[in-house]
Amino acid sequence: MSFNPISVFGTSMLALGTVMAHAGATNDWIDQNVTFSGFGTLGVVHSDYNQADFIGRVDQDSGAGYSREWSVTPDSDLGVQANVTLTDALSGVVQVISRDEVDGSYTPNIEWANLNYQVTPDLAVRVGRMLLPSYQHSESQNVGYTLPWVRVPIEISYTDTAEHSDGLDVLYRLKTGALNQQLQVQWGTTTENLPGPLFNDTRAHILLFSDTLQYGDTSVHLVYQKFDASQYPPIGFRLVSAGFTYDPGAWFVTGDGSYTKDRFFGDFLAWYVSGGVRLGRFTPYAIYSTMEAPSTGTSGLMRLGEDRTVSAGLRWDFVKNLDFKLQVQQVTLVSLDDPASFANLQPGARVGDKANVVSLALDFVF
Amino acid sequence: MNTSALGALILSVFSVGNVWAEDIVVIVNPTAASISKEQIADLYLGRSDAWIAVDQVVGSVIYVEFYKKLTGRDLAQIKAIWSQILFTSRGVPPKQLADSAAVKKAVAANPKAVGYIEKSALDASVKIALVLD
Repeated sequence: MSFNPISVFGTSMLALGTVMAHAGATNDWIDQNVTFSGFGTLGVVHSDYNQADFIGRVDQDSGAGYSREWSVTPDSDLGVQANVTLTDALSGVVQVISRDEVDGSYTPNIEWANLNYQVTPDLAVRVGRMLLPSYQHSESQNVGYTLPWVRVPIEISYTDTAEHSDGLDVLYRLKTGALNQQLQVQWGTTTENLPGPLFNDTRAHILLFSDTLQYGDTSVHLVYQKFDASQYPPIGFRLVSAGFTYDPGAWFVTGDGSYTKDRFFGDFLAWYVSGGVRLGRFTPYAIYSTMEAPSTGTSGLMRLGEDRTVSAGLRWDFVKNLDFKLQVQQVTLVSLDDPASFANLQPGARVGDKANVVSLALDFVF
Repeated sequence: MNTSALGALILSVFSVGNVWAEDIVVIVNPTAASISKEQIADLYLGRSDAWIAVDQVVGSVIYVEFYKKLTGRDLAQIKAIWSQILFTSRGVPPKQLADSAAVKKAVAANPKAVGYIEKSALDASVKIALVLD
């Protein structure tokens, strides 16, 4: 096992919390300065397509369809978080999450572990591990309760295999009349983890700029991301993405698009649009999501990652802090080279095949 | 049946009726500058941290009514919005205080604080920023 400063930091914070929790004298300090919270999803997915496994996240190596008709692995997860206030300007956060990982285990993984220093009310510097804001919902994709859908459309997250960055970021809030902007620069390194030994532990450098603009009920999220791994395979991409949401409360429309230029794998274009209506405790919604590969890179793989998905679903907020979701979707295979929605593609798969998928999810926060 | 009638039917089947007759007033410190309804909504929806929001107990009658009147959103939507902010390390929800007396005390003590109470609980220690009726 290699030395990982983030794991050491996270484990130390948890250990510190445990020690302090057992020391009676510091209980008041913990009550005042530490908040614990958590979230999770219990999900089950059925796919009628037996030539591939439908997956919920790009890094999963199996799911529903080929390996088994029903699977709990695509969406189920559990996360816990501790927020610590150290001084007026200094705070820390640690979030640990357990879900189906690349190796099929549910080994807890540290998602966030950083110290936040508030230099001025508008300027903050964070050091440690941060999730990347590569697209609108990338930082909250594990928290089903915050999403209107069972999961973020997988096509948009296809290039987001490096989810966190270990390093530094600077956040700046800018207010111009009624327009609130949050500008962000992130600089760090990450480890790429994809199924197959080729991609494991590929170290990469990340530089990211993002701007989140909020004007009343409208928000726009813009990103430029640079990703460079020097080892083989020589992944080096530039990503631009733009997302928007209009959510006045009674209904919503949202969409996100990203274009990636990768010299090894070629270019990808991924986008989705979605809308929904809130009828009391019920929120029916629909999504169209797709991904295409307009060019090929030096790897020689053709038409990488292409598929398209039409989804419809219903969110039911049936009791406080719990929701139940039902989603049906049809995925059309447009390419046989690593389509976003599937793993374990079998020799019998053909371009144009359709998978009908039903997902049930119970999301909770505490 | 049109969608709003369907919505009303669903609401009547699944909601517990909240009977709330009294106005809610948004309060600030007597020394504070004025704040608009849009600024208050941005503050309580986590879009701005120009002020310090003080909250009532989550799920209490005044809490539910305040968010409904100010933002048009229900308890689950507000919980989803703040969960997103909390679990993406962008902030923590407003501090919840036990009752209107505690909210008033906190606002009277801090020129940057914003809170809300029943109109009947109002006194000279704070000033009205907005009336929600």
